[in-house]
Amino acid sequence: MVGRKSVLLVAVALLAAGCGGGGDESDDGMVVVPFGFVGPLSGGAAYYGRNVLRGLEMAAEEIAANGGFVIDGQAHRFEVVTADDRYLPYETATATRRLLQQEQMSTILVPHAGGIRAVQEMNLNEPRFLLMAYSSEPSILEAQNPLQIMLPPRFDGYQEPFVRVLMGRFGTRLALLGTTTAYGRAWTEHVSAEWTRRGGTVGGNHGVDYNTTTDFTGAVSRALADDPDVLFIGGPSQPTALVIRAAREQGFQGGFLIMDQAKFMEMLQIVSMEALEGAVGVYPQELYPTEGTPGWVARYYERFGEDAPPATSEVAINYQGLHLLARAMEIAGTTEDPDAIRAAFGEAARTIDDDLRIFDMNGVTEGGHLARAVFAAHVLNGEFIAEPIPVPGGTELR
Amino acid sequence: MTLFLQQLVNGVALGSVYALVALGLTLVYGVLKVPNFAHGALYMMAAYVVYVALTAVEAPYVVAIAAAIVAIGVLGGAMELVVFRHLEGKTPVHMMIAALGVLFFLEGTADVVWGPDFRPVPTPLDGVVSAFGVNITEQRILVIVAAVATMVGLYTLLKRTLVGMSIEALAQDREGALLVGIDTKRVALLTFAISGVLAAIAGSLIAPLVLVFPLMGAVVILKAFVIVILGGMGSVPGAIIGGYLLAIAETMAGTYVAFAFSELIAFALLVLVLVFRPTGLFTKGT
Repeated sequence: MVGRKSVLLVAVALLAAGCGGGGDESDDGMVVVPFGFVGPLSGGAAYYGRNVLRGLEMAAEEIAANGGFVIDGQAHRFEVVTADDRYLPYETATATRRLLQQEQMSTILVPHAGGIRAVQEMNLNEPRFLLMAYSSEPSILEAQNPLQIMLPPRFDGYQEPFVRVLMGRFGTRLALLGTTTAYGRAWTEHVSAEWTRRGGTVGGNHGVDYNTTTDFTGAVSRALADDPDVLFIGGPSQPTALVIRAAREQGFQGGFLIMDQAKFMEMLQIVSMEALEGAVGVYPQELYPTEGTPGWVARYYERFGEDAPPATSEVAINYQGLHLLARAMEIAGTTEDPDAIRAAFGEAARTIDDDLRIFDMNGVTEGGHLARAVFAAHVLNGEFIAEPIPVPGGTELR
Repeated sequence: MTLFLQQLVNGVALGSVYALVALGLTLVYGVLKVPNFAHGALYMMAAYVVYVALTAVEAPYVVAIAAAIVAIGVLGGAMELVVFRHLEGKTPVHMMIAALGVLFFLEGTADVVWGPDFRPVPTPLDGVVSAFGVNITEQRILVIVAAVATMVGLYTLLKRTLVGMSIEALAQDREGALLVGIDTKRVALLTFAISGVLAAIAGSLIAPLVLVFPLMGAVVILKAFVIVILGGMGSVPGAIIGGYLLAIAETMAGTYVAFAFSELIAFALLVLVLVFRPTGLFTKGT
């Protein structure tokens, strides 16, 4: 009996899934375009994955509420279809394959470098699809995947302004205390190189894995024993804030050079602005000096409530990314041909509405990187001071 | 020298938490003969109770700790009553799968109720004490003192009370305990409740120092398993000494080798113990 019941359930579920398939017209008269998200929704990185997803869902709802995007006189809207990969690259590949078998879709977003590399091997074979890559790791551009759009700024642009500001303010001794993930190690290498290039001295690496460390005081004590002027720190925002707290508790008066993974607004939930004095990191998204920001921040809190997690760049960039995709599909005149959509991205970046300009963008590089103007924030006398960040590696746009 | 002292203090503070978590685990192992994977989830739940009590209810910290002790003690007891009691006499595999099930259930519950967000817990004890060039926060002093007090309390309970002695008897020889008329069901229930209380003390002491999130137990419980194996499965002094030993070894290895290796220390020690003294460092010969 139980067996028969579950067979029935499965049949109903399959039917329901079949109904939701790509390109069907829904009750509101709009064609529903499935958009894939493959990222961490459970496990240690779930917080991060859901930040990304909030941005995508907010954009999808807005597009639908505004009457959809129009191709050949027909309105379309997105439906975000998700698959959980728990931040594991091999799971990303499996989950992506599963999504593609369920439904036909022309675009899938992956929010971590390992997963992006796994999907780069897949998206040029049938069924071809556009890979929206949310990772600031520049090496994902090395694959020269013609069906890839890299959304965030490259992290190798940050070190020059970060190091310049902090070395000028505090002095030439740097201690390393970044997270030990692959991304954290790449950052550590870049920041050490830039620090040395400018004539500073870099102490030993006392980095720990921010995701598995219970107590940071030991590592902080060790790093401070070298008497540094500046501490390089960073991982997820919240543990990063704990490192800052531990350093201040132990009497550290110098500056913090903070990896871009950590966001000021999230850290401010744990430490005070006073503790952040002399920190340099990515500019807080909610205060971004751009035309589209105030309206977007207001819409974000209206949609998710005043108690929602801070509106970070993880939300902003992916929010803007989906709006860009809608615009690119309009320009390309198709929701299905990934090559045509990819080719239209540069124009989409130039012609997107002003109220969506949370970042100023003027096109896409040859390698598929969306070029945007980004800022560092330097905490000086309790204020965030904006420092423009140069875009490394070819700004040739098309 | 200052650095050494500072790191010793840091290691002792961390060791206090490790030892408290390992104690609950080793107690339950004594009775159940199976590692209770859900123990880390009890510790996590305790931290959430403190979080809710301090932020939503705005209760004083002492009340928050008391609430966590009661709630998680009951939760620990309920775990035995609802799940493990019915598995008596089944193979250890049944028990292990049940323990994993409870772990996932509790982690999932926390995720549904509070979301995957990292929650900071405010502490009333946010001052820093400095002496001989060593800095320690008031909260960490509380952790160390309360942990020692808890251990003394637990020791007294086990050695001086009838309840405690029956727990020890059951851990040492199940059939013998039955023969002398010990109500094993009641003792098992009590053991789980006490392990819940220990998890609650650990969780509520550390909550203001770390971030509260659904998987926070997973990191600590892994270390607690290593400590329990290190100290000898079921050994109470072993769990205490093992806890301090591991924390100090991690901190010192981090200081004088590299912190990237400190995570490895636990597992390197585990392998060494398993190869050279598989019954653990502090068990009397069996």
